[in-house]
Amino acid sequence: MVGEEAITMMDPAGLKAIGAGLAVGLAGLGSGLAEKDIGAAAVGAMAENEALFGKGLILTVIPETIVIFGLVVALLIS
Amino acid sequence: MLKPKSMTRAVIVGHKEVMDETVDTLHDINIFHIEEYNEEDSTFKIGKPFENAGDVSKKLVQLRSISSFLGIKPKEVPKQDTNILWAELDEKLARLENELDEKTEEKNSYETRLKELDSLKKELEPFVSIPIDLKNYRGYESLSVFAGTVKGDISSEISGITNDYELEFDPNTLTIALFVRKDKEDLVAEMLADYEFREIRVPDVEGAPSEIIADIESERNTINEKITSLEKSISDIKERYSDFILASDEILSIESQKSEAPLRIATSEHTFVIDGWVPSDEYNKMTRTLESSTNGRVFVSKQEITEEEEEEVPVEYNNAGITKPFETIMNLYARPKYKEIDPTALIFITFPLFYGMILGDIGYALILLGLAFGVKKLVNSDAIKPLMNILIYCQVSTLIFGVLYGEFLGFPLASLHGAHGIEPGLIAGFETINLFQSPIGGEMITYPIHRTHLVMTLIVLTALIGVAHINMGYILGFINEKKKHGFNAAMLEKGSWIVVEIGIVLAILGYVGYLPIAVGAAIFVIGFIMLIKGEGIKGPIELPSLLSNSLSYTRLIAVGLSSIYIASTVNLIAFEMIWPQGGIAAVFAILVFIFGHALNTVLSIIAPGLHALRLQYVEFFTKFYEGGGKEYSPFGYIRKYTEE
Repeated sequence: MVGEEAITMMDPAGLKAIGAGLAVGLAGLGSGLAEKDIGAAAVGAMAENEALFGKGLILTVIPETIVIFGLVVALLIS
Repeated sequence: MLKPKSMTRAVIVGHKEVMDETVDTLHDINIFHIEEYNEEDSTFKIGKPFENAGDVSKKLVQLRSISSFLGIKPKEVPKQDTNILWAELDEKLARLENELDEKTEEKNSYETRLKELDSLKKELEPFVSIPIDLKNYRGYESLSVFAGTVKGDISSEISGITNDYELEFDPNTLTIALFVRKDKEDLVAEMLADYEFREIRVPDVEGAPSEIIADIESERNTINEKITSLEKSISDIKERYSDFILASDEILSIESQKSEAPLRIATSEHTFVIDGWVPSDEYNKMTRTLESSTNGRVFVSKQEITEEEEEEVPVEYNNAGITKPFETIMNLYARPKYKEIDPTALIFITFPLFYGMILGDIGYALILLGLAFGVKKLVNSDAIKPLMNILIYCQVSTLIFGVLYGEFLGFPLASLHGAHGIEPGLIAGFETINLFQSPIGGEMITYPIHRTHLVMTLIVLTALIGVAHINMGYILGFINEKKKHGFNAAMLEKGSWIVVEIGIVLAILGYVGYLPIAVGAAIFVIGFIMLIKGEGIKGPIELPSLLSNSLSYTRLIAVGLSSIYIASTVNLIAFEMIWPQGGIAAVFAILVFIFGHALNTVLSIIAPGLHALRLQYVEFFTKFYEGGGKEYSPFGYIRKYTEE
């Protein structure tokens, strides 16, 4: 059967790599989406008051965790 | 350590006659933080500045405008005596201003002349190719003169109108000088209009244009020479006076601070009251100095600090010299409150530790160490120095971890035992030593630790480091809370987290089979109830953050691995793909290697720095730290260029 043949063609290592790539890539997108708004707002706040740099930095890096989780998952898969 | 300096509230009261001496003394000892007085429904008024305030600030403005005009930069100079400076200040300042005015005025006049010459030259340029003396363009009664540009040769057209004409035409620039009788003027003008005649103003000078331009050129040269020599003498002035400017800026700033101090002080008709803060261990020194300088005519008294006032206490760090640079990191977040724990000393340990764990590469450590020392030596700025010191601490830690990991610019130093056999390391004969089997994931712990081969173990290890770090935060939070609201509140708010964690650990042990699972569950529930009592509904909502916070520490390995992969990709492209081809490709290989690692070096400051910082700010500080203390800024000045 054609279907069976296709399944046997799949290399587990390749699937792992795809999974790892999806984990990092999608998590990265998530981080990026979250960070873009925070970053824009933080820069705006900093333009008003430079002392807010520290707070802005912290708020901006908070979603970084998402991509780190993605990276950890990718490492665990591969 | 761990606590800001203890402060004492002091009130200084005295007769107005000695206000001058009091302000002087306070300024000199530079330890008293003046609490600004605001004049709300009180019999006391804000004081008036001392008499010399206007004069001093006028001179200061004058001096600073000169200083910014000359572009004087701070530098190391021998200290000057203030008495001598004051004695000669007025005279020297006037002389400096005169000299400078004279030179700039002269320079300006030359520059104006230069502009005039330039515009004259521009006007003359069209006439260069027409050999007519410029004075001949003017002053006729029966002749009309047309000078300007046309779009082509008009000689045939003009001969159709009249024979009585004189035409000079330059075919290159299409410039004409046409002389006709006045009665033909209209006809000629019409014809010229067809040729898109555009008039050019004849410059108001006499002589052949080319000669005049030659004259202009030579005059320009002399003027330029003069301007250069003027600029040199201005920079001579800068050279000669820069010490004076720096030093007198300092004494004038000091004097202006002193003379404006009464604006922050409460005064009545005959007395004055200065309210403020002094570090407790300096209190006695302050009273002694004040008494001796005013012959005991001021009265200093200690005030009790009430609970509301605690918010207002200015906060001064109390850290040893080596931990001091990390105050910058604290300030970036928020200065601790007066009664709060100051975690600078802890950051001094954990920040470089995390940074080093992430980067852990001998090559980058050496590059960045060199960079940090270089910048510290070259840039003499108070803002940069602590940052460079932090970078140096971080690189020392990176170097230690680099030795532990056995990495150099992404190359493993020791040989690598992988699934595909043994890969040789950078140091020939340096074999990886197998130590023992890791209990997690069955991986072999080796020396040096190949991070790429021990991922599982290291992920668990970093999460455990996270748990330890977070719990340190809870303990500090416990201490803070106990100081503020007593043991019970502390136990409910912060201790409950630790109880919850113990419950989770015991439950896991029960799951594995060491204990009955109910023990863990019971302790967890006790912790959970305490948490609800302590934090309200916020507690359970934040409970999952315990997991995400500790997993967040896996970045210690994850970010490090990404840095290794970037470095080894650069190495791969450079040395395995391009280098073996030789010739011009070898040059490319070297370029790829240098640029790749330069990029990764920059990332090596940003990525580990930001992540190590984030672990402090987001995971650690949120467990205990409030911050928002007021900065302690004593009334005084740190002299750099002068001494009394």
